[in-house]
Amino acid sequence: MRSGVRWGTVALAMLALAAGCNRGTSTTTSGAPRVAFVMKTLNHPFFLDMQRGAQEAAGPAGVELVVQAAEREIDVEKQVQIIENLLQTGIKALIVTPSGSREIATVIAKANRANVPVVVVDTRVDPKAAADNDLKLATFIGSDNYEGGKIAGEHLAKITGGKAKVAVLEGIPGHETGDSRLRGFRDAVATHPGMTIVASQPANWERDQGFTVFQNMLQAHPETDALFACSDLMALGALEAIAAAGKSGRIRVVGFDALEDARKAIEAGRMEASVAQSPRDMGRIAVESAAKLLKGETVPTDQKVPIALVTK
Amino acid sequence: MTTAGQAAPADAAPDVKPTIHAQRGRQLGTFAGLLALCAILWAATPHFLTVSNLLNVLEQTALNAIVAMGMTYVIISGGIDLSVGSVLAFAGIGLALALEQGIPAPLAIAIALGMGVACGLVNGTLITLGRLPPFIATLGMMSVARGAALMLAEGRPISGFSDGFRAIATERVAGVPAPVLITIVIYAVAHFVLTRTVFGRVTYAIGGNEEAARLSGVPVRAYKTAVYGVAGLTSAAAAIVLTARLNSAQPTAGTMYELDAIAATVIGGSSLLGGEGSQTGTLIGALIMGVLRNGLNLLNVSSFLQQVVIGVVIIGAVLVDMSLKRRQR
Repeated sequence: MRSGVRWGTVALAMLALAAGCNRGTSTTTSGAPRVAFVMKTLNHPFFLDMQRGAQEAAGPAGVELVVQAAEREIDVEKQVQIIENLLQTGIKALIVTPSGSREIATVIAKANRANVPVVVVDTRVDPKAAADNDLKLATFIGSDNYEGGKIAGEHLAKITGGKAKVAVLEGIPGHETGDSRLRGFRDAVATHPGMTIVASQPANWERDQGFTVFQNMLQAHPETDALFACSDLMALGALEAIAAAGKSGRIRVVGFDALEDARKAIEAGRMEASVAQSPRDMGRIAVESAAKLLKGETVPTDQKVPIALVTK
Repeated sequence: MTTAGQAAPADAAPDVKPTIHAQRGRQLGTFAGLLALCAILWAATPHFLTVSNLLNVLEQTALNAIVAMGMTYVIISGGIDLSVGSVLAFAGIGLALALEQGIPAPLAIAIALGMGVACGLVNGTLITLGRLPPFIATLGMMSVARGAALMLAEGRPISGFSDGFRAIATERVAGVPAPVLITIVIYAVAHFVLTRTVFGRVTYAIGGNEEAARLSGVPVRAYKTAVYGVAGLTSAAAAIVLTARLNSAQPTAGTMYELDAIAATVIGGSSLLGGEGSQTGTLIGALIMGVLRNGLNLLNVSSFLQQVVIGVVIIGAVLVDMSLKRRQR
């Protein structure tokens, strides 16, 4: 039984550490209803901005906010588990940025059964999956990614005079956000006969993959003179690949998200433009909507957050 | 080493009774750890010790436990299988495509299990006939199976299955979720085979001393290959549960599951050097990880700190286990 005691000590130490030093992301207002915000990940600037917006809104809206996320953006099963666990704690409303637009349906059904209103942010729940599971989704808050992709395509056409050999870095295949951007971009490019997409490959939203994938593209298509990356992290990775190939300034890069680093690159003239979403507004509107729903007020079922093009 | 002595018959493989006996004591230690963890969570949050949350934890633990049970065979045999997560994705996509074609669920499930076993047997053959280290062979398979899953699925998740198929995850028997019952059945079989059959004894023997097992007439290659087949089988079984649970098969599913499975196995007292371990220990190990993740969520610990805590628990568990082992000698 000595072993049990020792084990207990280890476990106790762990939990003391966990419970003691981090109640971290919970913005406490005593007695206020608890609202859970489950994000795709917390290691991406976009979601950190969204978290900041949400936390700033929590106090004034009169809710206690709990923010959690899976370790990896693609891990839907882990996100599902987190939501299941939070539902156990008796949260009053759920805000979620789905890691998988179809896979998330089953756990949203659980929230529905527990009478917890669900606010969806950034990535839509697949309409068919929603219908199949008879889901009740209170509201969707997000940018029009299709429109964003289109704006990027039009801008690239404008600065290249409608003549370009374009490479595209895609996000993780099957993600609604990335797919919509891609469709918007392709539709815009299709209206300019002088523009051709010479290569289109996923770099899974990641900076290092943006670097290697674009480096490979340059090997295969040295004639490439324009790049659209479905996210800035991938665009920033590609910028380094362009510099390494000694082609700085000869390839025009348009990204998406207008991250801090991308804004700097645009300022420095290394990048042409980036489509700006407002994650902070998304976070704020999401929390405000949840608070309204809890008070029994109605909110619009679809809330578009404005999109803008950031250029020098 | 010479082969001067006569080879003993296969059923005289080294007796594993003493090992099993010593393990029982350590299992108690691990189990006490699990209970202590539960007690602390019970004290820390009112949401932990409720029937619905405990069923929730069991359901969430199911996937890791199932994968880890195959992993336990591999680790006891002295090997390692890094490909289980990718094989899970591959088998899941196979299952989803079959269901999409209108193939009846039982047949589709059989196809998926077959795909899992096939991947495992390829691993095993590369290790035994190809003489590759298990780490390398399964590292290769990790990439091959993942790529194959992405190719088959064309990168997209495949979703929307019949309610009949989804019952594998949604059905409840006397309030207990089906995945939990499936895990219990798999555990019972895995435990029985490991402790009561020649296959189990040979698995221990190979991990304990492969050369001795060979010299005593055990067809080591065949058994070793089969061990990896078992790991493929449990990966595929987990794929079926996951696909039913999410109503979708993703080619990116199961990423890093190999590490969770190895962690559960090791927390459960299996030695990465082989020859030691038990399915009961692995089940408790998986439960410790599941309870810990659940508890950290309930306590609203930040996801960054959660990873630190889980890492420290894995290291702590093995440290304690090793010091216990030393004392037993």
